[in-house]
Amino acid sequence: MTVAPPDTSTKYDLDFAKWVYENIEGGDKLALCMQCGVCSGSCPIGVQMDYGPRKLFMMIRAGMKEEVMTSSTQWNCTSCYRCVVRCPRSVPVTYILQDLAAKSAELGYAQKTNENVNFARSFWWSAKTFGRTDERLVTALYYFSFGLKEGYQRGLANLKIALNFVKRGRMHIGLPHRIKGRRQLKAILAKAEEIAKREGLH
Amino acid sequence: MTDNTTDKKKFTYYPGCSSQGSARHLDESLRAIAPELGIELDELEDWNCCGASVGHIGGGQLPNVALTGRNLAHAQRQGRQDVVTGCAACYLNTHGGNEKIKADVNLRRKVNDALAAGDLSYDEDLRVRHMCEVIVNEVGVDKVKERVTKPLTGLKVAGYVGCQTVRPFANTDAGGEYDTYDDPAFLDDFTEALGAEPVPFQHKTACCGGSVAVMSPDRTLHLVKNILEEAKQAGADVISTPCPLCQTNVEMYQEQINEKFGTDYNIPVVFYSQLMAVAFGLDAKKDAALHRNTIAPEKLEELATGRGEAKPRGAEPASPAAIGRD
Repeated sequence: MTVAPPDTSTKYDLDFAKWVYENIEGGDKLALCMQCGVCSGSCPIGVQMDYGPRKLFMMIRAGMKEEVMTSSTQWNCTSCYRCVVRCPRSVPVTYILQDLAAKSAELGYAQKTNENVNFARSFWWSAKTFGRTDERLVTALYYFSFGLKEGYQRGLANLKIALNFVKRGRMHIGLPHRIKGRRQLKAILAKAEEIAKREGLH
Repeated sequence: MTDNTTDKKKFTYYPGCSSQGSARHLDESLRAIAPELGIELDELEDWNCCGASVGHIGGGQLPNVALTGRNLAHAQRQGRQDVVTGCAACYLNTHGGNEKIKADVNLRRKVNDALAAGDLSYDEDLRVRHMCEVIVNEVGVDKVKERVTKPLTGLKVAGYVGCQTVRPFANTDAGGEYDTYDDPAFLDDFTEALGAEPVPFQHKTACCGGSVAVMSPDRTLHLVKNILEEAKQAGADVISTPCPLCQTNVEMYQEQINEKFGTDYNIPVVFYSQLMAVAFGLDAKKDAALHRNTIAPEKLEELATGRGEAKPRGAEPASPAAIGRD
């Protein structure tokens, strides 16, 4: 029987699992994972991920930091929470993936063309500026975050939907809806960012 | 019969951003049916965005919770009554954020430190609820049935609950233990109470793709297709849903799905609250907001415009402004 030679191209970061346990929301529950695969089996677009959650969790334990942080898994979570309610060990799978997404964006692992990151940034701009999500501006900003040409293409592909929405009064013409306390909100969010930088979430 | 003016329970109402855009028909129909169900909705003063499903990526975890903190601080100023929302994402973030703040003293302190920068604080332990949970636990399906003046006889309804209306809180103590996660009954119960017929629907808690469907339809169109296919096979006249994003995704992508998969779906997708407004004999436009659906729910419009016989209710006419009433 021949045994495949060990793959020396993979770098293992033996502190990575500990970092995840301590820094990712719900990460402290990761040690409870028994690799049953109910999460991956329950996942609506799990087959489109580089790795299902089960495999990703084993990779975290193995210290495969680069592969985990650059994986498409956290970007294909649709927040359906099926894995959360089904996990027999109560691992908060969705929460872990969401925070892995946030941290991989924050630490520069996400590519410039990452749809989720571009969408999230467009979304946050609206929430922060107006205190509300302006569906029109978020979508437009997001489309054009990929450049002029792709922006037009994406806009064109969904133009009919937009016009239908305008016709039905589900997309308004005019200034964005805004909250009165915009300065208040800005001050709160700036303070929250400052605290997060200093102390983290918990 | 309960009089509308008495026995009302007051809630602080958080409509959420989609109420001013893609899901105006949810907001309009909820405001219309609430008094019928003995619910008084007092709109949350100067409410802000909840963070939806990407706020933590765009702004970071703590600023994202701070959005909820500001809303709850405003709610607290309005009184200790429960906060209610009809939006799945608003519920997920606001209820979830609230429970985290209650359980974690460090987080509560940090959120309050941030709120202090805006001269606000959140120290009450408010309760944040979903409208469907309130209807199940507070109103009761029997009461819904009592209010029906125009039964939706013959209307076949595929009850599409989606994800975040039930997951991950519907079966928790704080979430009111109002239903189960995979096979919830409440939406079909609503349908039945309104005199319509719920069709068997396995995809009732399948995912539509959520915000991924908005940013990247190609990744998720097949999910919506599966939902439409079963509804069609089951002979549904309409799909009914409580979730703004489910309603939008399942409705707006039908043409693109037909192009991509060579199908011919044209199934109306309405909110349960639109069905209720019609069955309560309210105005088809002003109250049920049926004109906002991009795929016209024709059978429902026929029922709304009074082809069915209306039972008189009290002294007042059931719906003086109903369109096309003869």
